Amino acid sequence: MRLFGEAAPLLAESGVDLAVLADLEATVARSAGLPDGPRADIHVHLGRDRDGHVLGAEELIDDMDRWGIGRAAVFALNDPGPEGDFTDANAAVAGGAARTGARLVPFCRVDPHRNAAAAIARAEAAGARGLKLHPVAQHFTPEAPAVIACVARATDLGWPVLVHAGYGARPLVPALSLLADAVPGARLILAHGARGDARAVRTALARHPGVWFDTSLAALVDLVDLPPERLIFGSDRPYGDYATGLQLVGCAARVGGWSAVQLLGVMSANFAALVEA
Amino acid sequence: MRPTDALRLVAALGAIEMALVRRDEVAGPLLAQAARAAAGTPVDSWLAEAARLTRAPEFFGGAPAQAARRKVVQALCRASAQAVQALLLQETA
Repeated sequence: MRLFGEAAPLLAESGVDLAVLADLEATVARSAGLPDGPRADIHVHLGRDRDGHVLGAEELIDDMDRWGIGRAAVFALNDPGPEGDFTDANAAVAGGAARTGARLVPFCRVDPHRNAAAAIARAEAAGARGLKLHPVAQHFTPEAPAVIACVARATDLGWPVLVHAGYGARPLVPALSLLADAVPGARLILAHGARGDARAVRTALARHPGVWFDTSLAALVDLVDLPPERLIFGSDRPYGDYATGLQLVGCAARVGGWSAVQLLGVMSANFAALVEA
Repeated sequence: MRPTDALRLVAALGAIEMALVRRDEVAGPLLAQAARAAAGTPVDSWLAEAARLTRAPEFFGGAPAQAARRKVVQALCRASAQAVQALLLQETA
């Protein structure tokens, strides 16, 4: 059992009153006001991060069952390993997905400057269906030739590419525009509602045919500024949690005046169109 | 909720989020202030509990239990910020 994404035994050890916290989590969830229906999560990390965050496939499935999440795209935390190419972390993600049936869709995480072509080939053989890039954690620029090569290979494989677009100092639009133009068929999912450069991204890329946005740990003001047809629910587990992640989408739907069809798209249909295409 | 009250909370919660991530002890007093500012609003109970949780010994410690407790405080602050922002956006729409 987890509350706000954290393991109850750990919280109890820290002296938290679990009953009080469970009540508060329930009020957050109720405040989302989301209808029943299919839900899918485009942004989940598995494994162990350098910063101490941990999540296993079985724990994730428990969370998904509790919150009505049918499927999730999963990829490695920031655990590149001694060679820096995420070999072990990607293999662990693929293994976790294989153990839990078809509910977890493995993505391959790479450092474009560290044996990325081989990493993508290994991940493809292990069943990967998407690519995850984190320009801040792996210290690369999205428009670098090595990145374009990774995105081109992923696009050839029919994979969507999820790109971190949250906290970071660099402007996002010039780099992502170059990347999108360099690989015309690419399907880029900008994480966190592109909060790292939201206003510029909304102006330049919100209606680009190859660009989507996930809602994970996004800012509400950014989500209501983006077309819901381009949004995909994401939690960023284990950094985010399902109670507040769903509440965020519920708030955006109310403020943005989304239709039932638009909400269904954000919660599941857009995921299916990208991941299962 | 009056727009001025909502803005006060939104500004405070942004600062608190960053302080929590950086394990900056200023998060405790800031949360206590935010909880007082939220009294009687829809996020009253969430921020009251978040402020109470920060008063634990070793709240900023490095053990997994302390990290989990901080993550819960972050979640309660996030829920509060989102709810207040929604009220503000609906008010100004």
